[in-house]
Amino acid sequence: MAIEISFGQYLPLNSPIHRLDPRIKLIAIFISIIFIFIVKNFYGYALLACFLLGLVILSKVPPLYIFRGLKPLIFFILLTFALHLFTTQGTVIFQFWVLKGTIEGLRNGLLMVARFMLLISFSTLLTLTCSPLELTDALESLLSPLKRIGFPSHEIAMMMSIALRFIPVLVEETNRIIKAQVARGADIESGGILNRAKNLIPILVPLFINTFKRADDLALAMEVRCYRGGEGRTRMKEYTLSQSDFLFLFTSIIVGIVSVLI
Amino acid sequence: MDREYIRFLARAGLYAAVYAVLTIVLAPFSYGIMQVRVAEALTVLPIIDKSAIPGLFIGCLIANIVGGYGIIDIGLGSIFTLIAAYLTSRVKKDWQAPIPPIVINAIGVGTYLAILLKTPIYWGIFWVGLGELIACFGLGLPLLFFIRRIRGK
Repeated sequence: MAIEISFGQYLPLNSPIHRLDPRIKLIAIFISIIFIFIVKNFYGYALLACFLLGLVILSKVPPLYIFRGLKPLIFFILLTFALHLFTTQGTVIFQFWVLKGTIEGLRNGLLMVARFMLLISFSTLLTLTCSPLELTDALESLLSPLKRIGFPSHEIAMMMSIALRFIPVLVEETNRIIKAQVARGADIESGGILNRAKNLIPILVPLFINTFKRADDLALAMEVRCYRGGEGRTRMKEYTLSQSDFLFLFTSIIVGIVSVLI
Repeated sequence: MDREYIRFLARAGLYAAVYAVLTIVLAPFSYGIMQVRVAEALTVLPIIDKSAIPGLFIGCLIANIVGGYGIIDIGLGSIFTLIAAYLTSRVKKDWQAPIPPIVINAIGVGTYLAILLKTPIYWGIFWVGLGELIACFGLGLPLLFFIRRIRGK
């Protein structure tokens, strides 16, 4: 079982979308996603799809990458479509055995498919144009007003940065453990569901022991470097808002409102 | 700064990393139509280590952002994981540890998926619950026993 992982999906390109402030990108994409849920007809979805297409072209991301984000969900999307097609009451357009496809069902199904594809595509575009660390910084900055009511925004961002920093290391380690256990005769690819689950234990246990060790080492390293929490900490990269950030935010809001109204 | 506070942060971060890695790495580890999220086995951890509560929450958040499974999962999925992790930290006996994640995720995730897809709610609850049952009891509980034995508690 070889593990291939394209972590984070982030594509480091030099485009106007990549250069936008990650906080603005996060807010704008979030707003677009809310509008996707409010829109009720095809015109609205068509407008949002055009907006998405414009963003993809501007971001220089090959459209294939956006489709790749949809791939794991194709079955799920088709199932949703079929459920709507056959369970909605209305004018029957065709009949297959006991299943009756209705015109209303076809419409609902297509609307659902459009909604899902847009939702996933917008969030894929965000992760393609924003590195995980930029996203974490943006999240910390956006959540910082909540500090006043005791929300641990710095701690959450810190834990996220630690996690993101260690993911590639742990992927490599998991790979190594799997190889080591397979070399010792472990069989992780055959048997029924329960058997397969049980066979994962020899992989999980060493992974855990190493994780505990790493956590202790990391804590010690942080302590000797005088880590003192969020208070008075400065950043290497400060984000500043520019005109293009405001333009992007404004455009997403306008597109969202128009797509609901038409 | 308190030494325990730093250890808490470091551990939570690493639990999050392990959760995300297992979810992402073993995601194609499919059992036919039904899929089991192996990382859910970690949901038993809050009973021995409180830092696993934010750890699991963040792990689930990252896994759902990175995995490309859409925005619905990012918000609701991680919040249900957080609630389940908190409840697990409050249970008294080891064998009860897998119960909160199974119940919360089956009802929570099953329901929001069902509402979203306008499918029967019991259908969502059944499949999500079954996947959780296998991950938490089949993998999580043995893992918990192993960790207890290693740490000599």
